[in-house]
Amino acid sequence: MRPAGVMRRHVAIVGNGAAAISALETFRTHDRDSRVTVASAEPCTAYSRVLLPYYLRRKVPYHHLFIRDAAFYRDFDADLLLESAVERVDVGARRLEFADGRNLPFDRLLLAPGSSPVRPPIPGLEGPEVQHLWRLDEAGRLDHLFRQGARALVIGAGFVSLQAVWAARQRGLVVTVIELAERILPTVLDDAGARILQECIVASGVDLHTNTRTEGLMRDERGTLRVSVEGLPSFAADVVIVGTGVRPNDHLLAECVEPAQRGITVDDTMQTAIDGVYAAGDVARGPVVGGGPRTVHALWPTAVEQGKIAGANLAGARATYAGSLSMNVTSMFGVTVASLGRFAAEEGDTVVLRDDLPGLRYLKIVVREGVPVGAVALGGAAAATALGFLRPFVRQRVPVADIEAVVTGEHVAGRIARGRAIGRVVPGGSGS
Amino acid sequence: MRIVAVDPDSCVACRNCEYTCAFQQTGDFDRARAHIRVAYYPAERACVPFTCMHCAEAWCMEVCPAGAIARNEETGAVEIDAARCAGCKMCLLACPFGNIGFDEADGVSGKCDLCGGDPRCVGSCISGALEYVEVEDAFAFRREALDTRLRHVLRLDKGRP
Repeated sequence: MRPAGVMRRHVAIVGNGAAAISALETFRTHDRDSRVTVASAEPCTAYSRVLLPYYLRRKVPYHHLFIRDAAFYRDFDADLLLESAVERVDVGARRLEFADGRNLPFDRLLLAPGSSPVRPPIPGLEGPEVQHLWRLDEAGRLDHLFRQGARALVIGAGFVSLQAVWAARQRGLVVTVIELAERILPTVLDDAGARILQECIVASGVDLHTNTRTEGLMRDERGTLRVSVEGLPSFAADVVIVGTGVRPNDHLLAECVEPAQRGITVDDTMQTAIDGVYAAGDVARGPVVGGGPRTVHALWPTAVEQGKIAGANLAGARATYAGSLSMNVTSMFGVTVASLGRFAAEEGDTVVLRDDLPGLRYLKIVVREGVPVGAVALGGAAAATALGFLRPFVRQRVPVADIEAVVTGEHVAGRIARGRAIGRVVPGGSGS
Repeated sequence: MRIVAVDPDSCVACRNCEYTCAFQQTGDFDRARAHIRVAYYPAERACVPFTCMHCAEAWCMEVCPAGAIARNEETGAVEIDAARCAGCKMCLLACPFGNIGFDEADGVSGKCDLCGGDPRCVGSCISGALEYVEVEDAFAFRREALDTRLRHVLRLDKGRP
């Protein structure tokens, strides 16, 4: 029992995505006593942004986008504030200031407000047909715009954009993709992997132009959007998806953003420079596996891991983060695309390239001083499994003698090497 | 909770467990879709079954962006809800053991679910290589112990019989 008159500690969590949920769940395994408030800018319980392209593809029904329901917040004894966008954190007074003028004092704080899409300075890029694929309401609007035979313009060829393109093709839209950079997916694939995927995209009937500038959009006399693209005749668009990157919502704690950097800087406990104030997920610039400069890894698994660390430390545990490891996987245009860590070779690296392993069209592993540091794989589901086998070596920095054995499921030397890299694993659940 | 423990010394690679699992999971006998796999090493004249160990800290479950992986509170099994699975393959990338499969026809991941507490693979094992035992008792069979035994069975430890 708490002594009478002692206030319950109040923990505020800003955001309601992967990092926030993971933090709340972990926090409650340590602390059943403190008051917790989760402040979400959006009007609903937690949903998964990762699933939005799958929803557009009709692979995931709308109600399955929600990964937590109202009962979850009750079970974890958290007040969920909806449509409560935080405008400012008053660090001195230790309170949140909401856009609508309300404020909320806190003792400890986790900032997990995610990131927001960037809209490029293209003239005429506005109107109801112009959407990002980032929030739930945007996905809902795109779902209405995705009519069979509709003409879609997709600006940008990143991970989310291309999944939207794949969804649009599956729904029978006519799709043009315009990418300013020289190639698709610069942060997810290497050049050769990107070329393979690009062939698959074009083969699916997509009109894809890299190294091309979208000059502007305007409405014709009937109100239809017409698109001007460098070097192409102008064309009409019924739907425009803007996918030109995201930016962390780091303005909430600008004093913890380093000059010329993005993201709120955190240490390996996920604490910012301010005592009792933590950050996790897309907004955090945190440690990475293998050392090196802190980085924003705006990825679901990183958000989950960082949320866990932050949640434990909000409760006074002393958890430290070994660092995030970039990992991406999806299937689109009939191919599984996966990557891990640093897959761009630098001087002095050894590169293993294979196109003859079962289920793999392309495998590239970058090795530095005997230790694999990153990889790209394209093919069937085996692409994801192979990088799953490799991940412990990259994460624990374990040298590999026979890389082929490690990424090939049942190879005995690989199995034993993998067992060593993975280390101690406790089987079975303790919950029941 | 109980898990399926594996004794590589006893396995004779009859593959009954694979057939039984495939039938239980899919209604067909396509071994490629089984959630237990017997690795056969002809040069070493050894065979070892492998299946999910329902890790206490199951990373597949933690990173699933669809909330499709959960622990069955009765059996303790880490289970994939096929209705919720988006087919993103993040769990395949998360599992360091390669113990999650992918059903290309349905576009969803699949793994051992302990058959709801009555794992059919164990019932069909003819050699006693598979046992459904309490985790604490199973630990002698598992992971590091298994690797040591694997090295032994495969005669990789020099100077041993």
